[in-house]
Amino acid sequence: MTENIYAPHLVTIEKIRNEAEGVKTFTLTFKDPVERESFNYRPGQFGEVTVFGAGEAPISITSSPVNKGYFELSVAGVGKVTQALHLKREGDIIGFRGPYGNGFPFDEVKSNDILFVAGGIGLAPLRSLINQMFSERNKFGKISILYGARYPALLCFRDDISRWAELKNSEVLLTVDTAPDNGWQNNIGVVGSLLPKINMNIENTTAFVCGPPIMIHFIILDLLKLGFKKDRIITTMERRMECGLGKCGHCNIGEKYVCLDGPVFSYQQLEELGENI
Amino acid sequence: MSEMKILDKTKLVEFLEKLMPDFEVTVPSYNNGNLSFSSMAHARPEIDFAGRPLVPPKEYFFPQQEEMFTFATKEGKATIKAHINKDKRVIWGIRPCDLYGIKTLDSVFLSRYVDSYYHARRENTILMGLNCNEPCEAGFCSSMGTGPFATNSNAFDLLFTNLGNQFLVEIGSKAGEELIERRANLFATASDEEKNKSNEIEKQCKQAFLYSVDQDRVKAALTKAWDDPLWAEESKNCILCGGCNFICPTCYCFNIEDIADEHEQNSTRVRYWDSCQLGGYTQMAAENTRKTQAERLRQRIYDKFSYVPARHNGAIGCTGCGRCTEVCPSEINITHILGILGRQK
Repeated sequence: MTENIYAPHLVTIEKIRNEAEGVKTFTLTFKDPVERESFNYRPGQFGEVTVFGAGEAPISITSSPVNKGYFELSVAGVGKVTQALHLKREGDIIGFRGPYGNGFPFDEVKSNDILFVAGGIGLAPLRSLINQMFSERNKFGKISILYGARYPALLCFRDDISRWAELKNSEVLLTVDTAPDNGWQNNIGVVGSLLPKINMNIENTTAFVCGPPIMIHFIILDLLKLGFKKDRIITTMERRMECGLGKCGHCNIGEKYVCLDGPVFSYQQLEELGENI
Repeated sequence: MSEMKILDKTKLVEFLEKLMPDFEVTVPSYNNGNLSFSSMAHARPEIDFAGRPLVPPKEYFFPQQEEMFTFATKEGKATIKAHINKDKRVIWGIRPCDLYGIKTLDSVFLSRYVDSYYHARRENTILMGLNCNEPCEAGFCSSMGTGPFATNSNAFDLLFTNLGNQFLVEIGSKAGEELIERRANLFATASDEEKNKSNEIEKQCKQAFLYSVDQDRVKAALTKAWDDPLWAEESKNCILCGGCNFICPTCYCFNIEDIADEHEQNSTRVRYWDSCQLGGYTQMAAENTRKTQAERLRQRIYDKFSYVPARHNGAIGCTGCGRCTEVCPSEINITHILGILGRQK
């Protein structure tokens, strides 16, 4: 009998952290010890999360594969399944199958300078990669992280951000569209407004971009204008998905499926696929 | 392979009845004037029909709605039960276009990651094809290479050709051969004369087609047709019923949904057909990535003629069965669309 590719594995919610307004981070462990030991993934990959009774939704993994024995998902409670997930408590059982998709390039960009540009919860998949890169810090050049949200309460991963900012040869710049509270010390404006504030050796830099589609659209235009080559701009795409395995049809961009061939694409690949970004 | 047998037409029902203790035997039958596949346990098989049932037999491998799992959660424990259907089935009277459709579904569901639900149903089903003596009104299978006669490229265990008073029967697999061997007294060996008669029927049928599509020209046109005004023009009357997808022998898209009982302790995960022509097909929590009907029609045509062949090693996305044209209440006509593309320079 072949394995049922759609069968979720049972996972326990070990910890729930309020990450930002409307966003929670769930620390999960597989109930099956064999699965717990063997589970491995690349940053940028995702899984299908089951909230029993509510359904399934594709969520990217935000922890780094360096951390063994558990993994983390950061989830905005915006849809039927994610809202049901937000009602769960520590100790509850949910389902998970994955990892799916291609993941970010890692070995391919070693010795490069790295630029991360993220908006809102778009930092979640990049956080996995950032932490993996910092675990092999000397293999990469300068690491710059530009992160924005609509307002300060929507900024995720503040602990990580403080840690990243202190690591050598790295910088983190934050911005918000509007800051109602007086305590905000950082930039105000869209995340693209941070680009002129950093020094980059563009020839040797690979950019990773993740956020809402409108942000990705404008950041790619900015990066092209700065002289980035199309294959050095890496982004991760969101499409409606049901199966995660290239069967259900929903997530195609041209002849590629985001679930199988993506979700990570270079801008060059996306342009060749012909869909507007 | 390719050994030919002869079955007297009066003995077909007897042959199928002999299979009924071991198989659910499914045959084309008229219900309220419509030809559809039905169980022979409560339907009279239609032996001499023209055309094809409006709904293709894909539902026997990929049902319109199918239970995948039941989940039970209680006091911090969760159990998962999968529902794999292994009923033994014979389907008789599958037209070559639909045999080809099954082949395309095979390349989707059985490649890379094997879909256990499809796989179990497919493994347990015997396909008995039936060649066409005359074309369907809206059909263009001949130019798609999928019909009106099946070849070894179509999936079949046995293939029947209606010679008038007899069926010529071609054996396509070991499983098909065994079914005949166990009832050998019903069959005779085919003569050259009978084989020639079959060839003559095929020749005459191919000459009678009203429509043909130049696949190569369509594929070439699609490399330049992304921004063509035809997508908006041809989709402007679409009422978003999804019928073109639901009766398509190669369409495979589905949704997965959980249906919970009132206490949300037990739930059933079902999958059901979806249609790329419906507005919700690409709807996410915050965004819809295909907003216009023009984009959705473009997706359907590109998927059939460009994406499916590219993804699945040349598999055919459109069998030329003509059903989508036949069911469309807004008269959106695939041969008309393909004709426009085929005429483009």
